[in-house]
Amino acid sequence: MSDTAAPLTQDRQKLEMAALSAPAVVFTVAMIAFPVAYTIWLGFQTFSQTGKQSFAGLANYSKLISDYEFWHGLWVTIALFVLSLVLQLIFGVWLALVLFHAKRLPGIVRSLFISPFMMPPVVAGMMWLVILDPSLGAANYILQSFGLPPSDWLASPSWVIPTVALIDSWQWTPYVALIVLGGLQSLPPSVYEAAQIDGASPFKTFQRITLPLLLPTIVTAAILRSVDLLRFFDIIYITTQGGPGNASNTLNIYGFRVGFEFFNIGYASALMLTLTAIVFGAVLAFNRLRGAVAW
Amino acid sequence: MTDAANTDRWIRWLNTLQLVIAGALIMAPTVWMVLSSFKPSFEVTAYPPTLMFSPTLENYVELTKTTPFLSYALNSLVVTVGSTALGLVFGIPAAFAVSWTRISWPAILTLAARMAPGTLFLLPWYVMFRQIGMIGSYTALILSHAVITLPIVIWVLLPSFDAIPRSVFEAAQVDGCSVTRILWRIAMPLVASGIAVSAILAFVFSWNYFLFALVLSNGDTKTLIAAAFNFIGEGSTQWGALMAAATLIALPPLVLAALVQRWLVSGLTLGAVKG
Repeated sequence: MSDTAAPLTQDRQKLEMAALSAPAVVFTVAMIAFPVAYTIWLGFQTFSQTGKQSFAGLANYSKLISDYEFWHGLWVTIALFVLSLVLQLIFGVWLALVLFHAKRLPGIVRSLFISPFMMPPVVAGMMWLVILDPSLGAANYILQSFGLPPSDWLASPSWVIPTVALIDSWQWTPYVALIVLGGLQSLPPSVYEAAQIDGASPFKTFQRITLPLLLPTIVTAAILRSVDLLRFFDIIYITTQGGPGNASNTLNIYGFRVGFEFFNIGYASALMLTLTAIVFGAVLAFNRLRGAVAW
Repeated sequence: MTDAANTDRWIRWLNTLQLVIAGALIMAPTVWMVLSSFKPSFEVTAYPPTLMFSPTLENYVELTKTTPFLSYALNSLVVTVGSTALGLVFGIPAAFAVSWTRISWPAILTLAARMAPGTLFLLPWYVMFRQIGMIGSYTALILSHAVITLPIVIWVLLPSFDAIPRSVFEAAQVDGCSVTRILWRIAMPLVASGIAVSAILAFVFSWNYFLFALVLSNGDTKTLIAAAFNFIGEGSTQWGALMAAATLIALPPLVLAALVQRWLVSGLTLGAVKG
């Protein structure tokens, strides 16, 4: 009997396991960990007009505190995040309930419901750009035929954030709905039956039983959406590039432009690290919330 | 009794109505995009918008004539297939090792990378790729998009590997199979459908990804998504061609998603929900 035919020793097994995850770990360190460390270092550097770099200490971060565009970007990011998340959670739960009571859905119907979030956000931006055109778009035509005033949508500084939130919600509400639907389907049917026997109205049953039991799933959906919403980029870059003026200049768009249009690498690094801290902070906060509503 | 039956029918009717309304709201913009792409150019910008028209392919013809649409599509295909393959090659063994050893930090590491804003890596990548002259290369694009595909593969496959009874592996171990052999001969065939779903999801999200190609590609390697920006620049008179481009770009992910829609939910939530 050869050596390899013997049962594996613990050590040998550990080594083989390490070898299996090694490519993924090495790749992640090379493409993520090392570049992030580099970004942290860049955040402490300043680059002169001639490209000479020097240590700047916390200069980039103190610049951030006094930078109006940073605070404006933070406000835009948070406004867009809150508005989109609220829209998507409310309509997502509603859609999930509707789908749940529809019982059997043919595959083709399900495919149609997932189609918005399977298409590239860039394409969603392109098609809404045409639909929401202030003078020739179909949206204003529909509004006007109902006797409602037309809107400038993406071209209006005061409407651009709600409009972008609307586009994103069109795209991702079905996603939230599918997650919540999964939660609904895993609830024990016995609780409904008990409520029915007790003569509770459908609304009371939802408010007192379904909603509390669904909360952990809803928070999960909120986490998954928050990660995307706080670093909002694609739809805005395609439709407004942060405009009109700077009305939709989210932190991610602002950081991108500072880095790749103004080539202020040091300051862009500080901006992106701050945004990353915000995203991870939000995820941690939601995670604690999920712990609090778990059952 | 008839009263209760009546209420029941009412509720069911109300639910169907809501389903139809939701479906219409979800479908209408996409339908409008596809319709517009088949409209003659003078009718795309007609106001009030028209629903009845004689469909034409002129927008698609114009798109392929006035832009290098096909070479963009080829670039997208190379980058997407390359990064999906890389994600599978790195991700399958890693998911298997995480599932077996219950040492989860490699999986969490890739997920954390997925949650950070892409610009965070794009800055140092740009600086580094420029120094070694790799801006605009397929290699740089494939490597950057593998950052999208790798966590998808790992997190979609983890529950599949977890679902295999341990006794299956232990029996193989007693027979003297090496871990690699167990993965290749026993575990991978058992999770074949999971691998297919993870590959399709990885493909879709790599295809849809915008930011990296925007900076790391050049005129020769520009992907469809990155080029979409240029189509818009051509102005509102080109709406027909714009909608034709949008329709064609959205087609591959939509077709693939339709194929695996049944398994999508658990995959899309990275295992957060068992669906």
